[in-house]
Amino acid sequence: MRKSDPQFNQLNKLHHFLSIDGLDKTTLTHILDTAEGFTSVNDKSIKNVPLLRGKTVANLFFENSTRTRTAFELAAKRLSADILNIDLVSSSTKKGESLLDTLRVLEALQSDMFVVRHSDSGAADFIARHVSPAINVINGGDGQHAHPTQAMLDMFTIRRHKGSFDNLCVVIIGDIKHSRVARSGIAALVTLGVPDVRVVGPQTLMPADVESLGVTVYQDINKALAGADVVMGLRLQNERMTSATIPSTGEFFQAYGLTPERLRLAKPDAIVMHPGPTNRGVEIAASVADGEQSVILQQVTFGIAVRMAVMSIIMGHGEEVRLLEMNNV
Amino acid sequence: MTELQINNARVIDPLNVFDEHRSLYIKNGKLTDSSAADAPIIDATGLIACPGFIDLYARLREPGYSRKGTIESEGCAAIKAGFTTVFCAPDTNPVIDSIATVELIKQKANAANGPRIVPIAALTAALNGERLSEMATLFRAGCRILGHADRPIKDTGVLLSAMEYASSFNIPIMVRPIENAITGNGCAHAGSVATRLGLPGLTVAAETVALSQLIELCRCTGCRLHLSRLSSGRAIEMVRQAKNDHLPVTADVGIHHLYFTHEQLEGFDVNFHSAVPFRSVEDRDALRTGVRDGTIDAICSDHAPHDKDSKLAPFPSSAAGLSAFDSFIPLLLALPDLLNMSLIDVIAKITSGPARIIDPDDNYSLTKDAPADIILIDTHAQARLAADEFLSHGLNSPLVGLNNLAEVIDEDVNLVGQVQHSFIAGNEKTK
Repeated sequence: MRKSDPQFNQLNKLHHFLSIDGLDKTTLTHILDTAEGFTSVNDKSIKNVPLLRGKTVANLFFENSTRTRTAFELAAKRLSADILNIDLVSSSTKKGESLLDTLRVLEALQSDMFVVRHSDSGAADFIARHVSPAINVINGGDGQHAHPTQAMLDMFTIRRHKGSFDNLCVVIIGDIKHSRVARSGIAALVTLGVPDVRVVGPQTLMPADVESLGVTVYQDINKALAGADVVMGLRLQNERMTSATIPSTGEFFQAYGLTPERLRLAKPDAIVMHPGPTNRGVEIAASVADGEQSVILQQVTFGIAVRMAVMSIIMGHGEEVRLLEMNNV
Repeated sequence: MTELQINNARVIDPLNVFDEHRSLYIKNGKLTDSSAADAPIIDATGLIACPGFIDLYARLREPGYSRKGTIESEGCAAIKAGFTTVFCAPDTNPVIDSIATVELIKQKANAANGPRIVPIAALTAALNGERLSEMATLFRAGCRILGHADRPIKDTGVLLSAMEYASSFNIPIMVRPIENAITGNGCAHAGSVATRLGLPGLTVAAETVALSQLIELCRCTGCRLHLSRLSSGRAIEMVRQAKNDHLPVTADVGIHHLYFTHEQLEGFDVNFHSAVPFRSVEDRDALRTGVRDGTIDAICSDHAPHDKDSKLAPFPSSAAGLSAFDSFIPLLLALPDLLNMSLIDVIAKITSGPARIIDPDDNYSLTKDAPADIILIDTHAQARLAADEFLSHGLNSPLVGLNNLAEVIDEDVNLVGQVQHSFIAGNEKTK
């Protein structure tokens, strides 16, 4: 039994952006196309468009984050929205207030959109199911579940460099088990039709039944990298480094670090991606992170346009972006 | 009431392998074989009469968590579920580890005048797994089995001691196999669904590693070991082997685990967040086979009522457990078809089965002179599952308001059945 997807409203329009799961290729492609329109905005000297003028976007970060929060903030500002940054890590939630109570208070502040990051898998879904119907929710990362805007900016970066998703071989290296970036990335790659998605890492960092996501599992990084078009690293979280999941960061780098020698096993025009922040010398060699195949900083830049696209679409302004683009021309 | 005659019921008495229409006679709280001409008569045409159900594991939430349920409220719901005896879980506050708490529960149970309540005493003080509780004293005080709720006993030495000590006094113990070291913060079966939803996983090994340890300790101590609420197919195989080895082990399964799988967690549905995880279809089918072939001796409710707020949180932070009493009868009555078993064999799992787990010599039945714990079930009446018909304080059930299971799982099962009368020692209980 498939339960109702809270991402869609009664008119079957995308109302929240919570997870790649449940979205089809057309929807994902529409987001990417819309983001293309915004990249021209970002290249202009005056970077604002008035699509969300008068709207208030609240960044609700129950978990620490600088990069994602800043990217959302910038995206909202470029759409001319007011932005409310609420640090909930050290706030009322620590005082025992329930998530729902916190939510009601923030609703009362009359925001139009919530961008949520929370350490519980399913938190964005929960919030979307319980907020007033007028509010749109974007998942800025929930536990180990999903980070869909990261996935979309990754897809945007791949499409920019590779043109399309057909016939690609994408390799994701490292801690798949605890990574929401990996889960959303895999879902997006599979939905967009990438025929060969590989994950590589020790069994301690692989979730149960990972093949069911539509990937092939490798333990040997050299085999995994053979013929790759796209190589994606993942951040190894500090808490993993001190637990029993890996013996040491040094051994991890020996076994799974992305070095220039290993990168040569991939196709010569392969691109190297990483959601950041990188641990140099742990999951990726500095020379690879800074090398000419690296598109890591482009990912960050594209992240703004992609988030502008997602915000516009769920607030019902997806079509206006095209007009905007035409006017610019 | 001193005398009563029940006419025209289909009498199902598993221990006596009896399934026929006949009259039942109650006198002075016991079953007898005739009654006076002027004795009151219940016409039970169309109803099933059987021994009252025995629930080996339910949380009544009192003392300590009465916002979730009370002995009175949950007792009423238990009667609706056909239970005339309920073994209540020790993870109350305070924990059932002292005579004082046992007495308190007995007093509350007497005042509530619901089913017979038997406290399951904690094996270790405060369920902290460090020091043995006064096991023999608690046993003598009426706690007929001792257990450890959903908490692992982390120190195997303590577990060994508990089993040796229990064996010395012939006290049965009830343990749910959970290996703390690999349970971690898991909240869902480690499989494709948890992987996609990013939910921390509970591996089958978290159950089987603990189970293999328990079975070996049972082998060396001779302690009567009841394995509570198994969840995996591999565990069923291990119990089957232990029984083949003639170890004194018995096992039960929660009724929801014969129906639901991890597929139901789709959409982060907190109603399916259970301490004992719902696993794969293969696991569920193995549990069904275990019930059918006798590897599993009993079915329990695993009743876990919660207040609304406890479930209003993202999945990992929501309270685990399902309210089970109000929907127990329809789920039980659907089992014969689903498991390809006779109704009498299914009823055995909830009457003579649990009775013999507690005491292998128990003759829980409708035999003459047995205490008249009897229920009469209408198997055709629509089950009362609307929210306002729930008797449990816990509305945390995926079956609230349903008429057919097809609304939650791929199984076309009409939710029917109501207990019409419930007698404990001949006294009728009102719901």
